[in-house]
Amino acid sequence: MGKSLINRKMSKNRLIFGGMVLAALVLLPLAVKNAYMVHLFIMAFIGIVLGMTFSMLFSAGLITLGAGAFYAIGAYGSTLLSTRLGLSFWAALPLSTLITGIVALAIGSIIVRHPGMAFTIISLLFAHVVIQAAGQIEFFGGWGGIIGVERPDPLGPIQFTTKTSFYYLILFLLLLTALVFHALYTSRIGRIWRAIKLSPPLAETLGINLYRYRLLAFVIASSAAGMAGSFYAHYFQMITPEAFGGWLSIYIQLYAVLGGLEFYILGPAIGAVIMTFVPEYLRIAKEMEPIITGVFLLVIILFFSGGILGTLQRFWTAKKTSVLSGKEQL
Amino acid sequence: MTTALFIQLVVNGLVKGSTFILIVLGLDIILRGTKILNFAHGQFYMLGAYTLFMFCRLWHVNFLLSLVLSGLALVLVGALSYLSVFGVVQRRFTATTPFTYRLLMSAMASVGLMLILQQGTLIAFGTAERGMPSIFPQIITFGDVRLSLEKILIILFSMFICFGLYLLMYKTKLGLAMRTVSFDPEIASLQGINSFWIFMICFALGSALAGVAGGVIAPVFAVTPTMGTHIIFTAFLVLLVGGIGSYKGAILGGVLVGLALSFGFHFLGGISELFVFVFVIIILIFKPGGILGEVLD
Amino acid sequence: MALLEIRNLKKYFSGLAAVNDVGFSVNDGEIVGLIGPNGAGKTTLFNLISGFHPPDQGKVIFAGEDITALRADQVARKGIGRTFQASTLFMQSTVFSNVFSAFYRQYRQPGWKAFLHTPKVKREEQAIRKAAMDILEFMGLAALGGELATNLPHGHQRALGICIALATEPRLLLLDEPLTGMNPSETMEIVRKIRQIQEKGITILLVEHNMRAVMDLCDRITVLNYGRKIAEGTPERIRKNREVTEAYLGREEA
Repeated sequence: MGKSLINRKMSKNRLIFGGMVLAALVLLPLAVKNAYMVHLFIMAFIGIVLGMTFSMLFSAGLITLGAGAFYAIGAYGSTLLSTRLGLSFWAALPLSTLITGIVALAIGSIIVRHPGMAFTIISLLFAHVVIQAAGQIEFFGGWGGIIGVERPDPLGPIQFTTKTSFYYLILFLLLLTALVFHALYTSRIGRIWRAIKLSPPLAETLGINLYRYRLLAFVIASSAAGMAGSFYAHYFQMITPEAFGGWLSIYIQLYAVLGGLEFYILGPAIGAVIMTFVPEYLRIAKEMEPIITGVFLLVIILFFSGGILGTLQRFWTAKKTSVLSGKEQL
Repeated sequence: MTTALFIQLVVNGLVKGSTFILIVLGLDIILRGTKILNFAHGQFYMLGAYTLFMFCRLWHVNFLLSLVLSGLALVLVGALSYLSVFGVVQRRFTATTPFTYRLLMSAMASVGLMLILQQGTLIAFGTAERGMPSIFPQIITFGDVRLSLEKILIILFSMFICFGLYLLMYKTKLGLAMRTVSFDPEIASLQGINSFWIFMICFALGSALAGVAGGVIAPVFAVTPTMGTHIIFTAFLVLLVGGIGSYKGAILGGVLVGLALSFGFHFLGGISELFVFVFVIIILIFKPGGILGEVLD
Repeated sequence: MALLEIRNLKKYFSGLAAVNDVGFSVNDGEIVGLIGPNGAGKTTLFNLISGFHPPDQGKVIFAGEDITALRADQVARKGIGRTFQASTLFMQSTVFSNVFSAFYRQYRQPGWKAFLHTPKVKREEQAIRKAAMDILEFMGLAALGGELATNLPHGHQRALGICIALATEPRLLLLDEPLTGMNPSETMEIVRKIRQIQEKGITILLVEHNMRAVMDLCDRITVLNYGRKIAEGTPERIRKNREVTEAYLGREEA
């Protein structure tokens, strides 16, 4: 009885806190006039979406290094739809998300059958292949990429001429994705993913079809990445293969690890925000950035493997004597 | 296609294949022994090339000696990496944490290491390509065919190393210990084998193999800080083709991919790499365990 | 009526026959023991029956249906539950979570309704919670509901494994060495529970090394050695069977 009171109070506090953060995010562009800052927020929000796709696959026991691939497929798909077929962004966005989902279904149905290390390696290679294909094939613009991607058409009174409108758009997409993902995690599907992640053979004895649910996670996560790619293409108004390759898939993992692997939504959120803003403020020479990131990564793995939220949670539960903490659940 | 050309392409393919074989054998040894997916492996390859360059070109040490020294340097690097990073990770994440987690933690640690080594080398040596004059510039001719001696030696050298590895793994006590640990660390400790040392040896050996591959190839191809990242993708491809954890697969896979790339490049240019990758991914649909079908998980 | 029938089952690993032409049956409501020296192929047989490995030859027939080619999850859905030798649990979850998760198939309400927490959903969840608690109480783990599975002592982990298997409401339960590592009083407890499980109408196939428990519990026993069946019959017959004693003694000497 006492415990449930505490839990309810915690949830209420959480809701209030969350509401405040949300309000702050919504009001932010009014306070921040610096366009570059707004740009950073936009990139951070994209990063959060991408980080969440990694986490979704992790929640089902799969480690992917291929998030960059679907981000790229969405971006290129949307770009081609709008530049070659003249579609408006508002049509290209859902369509390219769908296309990415279909590609994910095709690829996933093959590679999800090899869980574990094989999956991780294949996902890495797939990302590599996608980037190479984009660069080598003229149809996709080659290494120079494609420029001149149209801004989104005005949505009612909202013109997409300033960064602010893009900010609200990506914030909306981010919140939408987070909501959908959260719904999934708290549903029967989320429970099944957790079972698969914790012990695939045990999950099978419960009658769970591993392949089907892993594939589901793969398709949903990849579609979300594709959606983010579509946004990126129309925001940046040009795409090059390099934007999706390089260390991107690695940084995406890092967002999730940094924030806390067990926190499928807030983890990437914190991780992406930190990884986007902190390098800006530390004014590190461009050269040193990967080294610092590498050292940082090692430090996290060795000492704070729960990530920021995980470490905070351990402090919190150490303070209380109860074993049942808010996040550790079904 | 003339016979001369064909032989040239085969030799080129085997040279590339030899590089892959050494690198992937190293990956396999690390993987089988320590269950770590080492993303920094390409950097060990690169460091092998750079250390060879330093010893041989900058300090004018005899090539063969340089190769040995560079191999030893990589043994050291590998051992240090294990001691400072992976050993700690492995001790923290024991058998009770889900496999996914353990895999991720050690893989990410290797990614961190990769970033550090890659960028560190770039800063230390600059982005410029380093070249080395051929150690064995002689050309062998028979009939129409002209083959560089260097390339033949590389192929022979790799075969020599493979044979040496075979002896080590299957004919020595150390090899037996390594294989026991890969099979089941618990049984190994029951037999009195110190798993920690074996893990470290596996890691050091694996790194040295990659390093030696880099050292041997340095006189033939350019030495750049990004050569590690370039080769790791193909290395993973070979790993998949041969089957994760399969030594024979690594050899067969290396040869096949090397030949495919050599012929492919000649006929199709840069895009051939793409085709090879796609082709392999398609093959994996039908033969998920790689060619020799030994999947480790 | 034979609930489970094994016919001519063969499984090779790297050229060696782990299971070599094994056949026997388990009748509805029985407790059948599967014994044999280490390495005799018992766990492999379990894996073949429960769909974790496909047999190279032979058939597995459950309630008249050929389930040989089915995957593990399909076999589970037919009504065969199992436990594992190694502690295969949802380690990072609480004891209660472990059992609660096993009921996921009982959720009848669709996902979107679950999201909105409609009253029907709440009632369903309550029912499942109660069912999970009932099982925990039955196995004596009710007080540990909030403990993380990974913190449990070995004996309790085994019991938890049985709870999870029971939650799937199996017709046939495969128990893989449930008594390993238990002290005499824990052993007695679990033996009692196994009998009670039989009383609930669940058929049991039991792999176990503890001979007293096996003789005590089982209606019939099948003995394997080097992958082959060397004897089958009531505990009395098996106890007197010389070949069986030799198999065990021979192993001990080797």
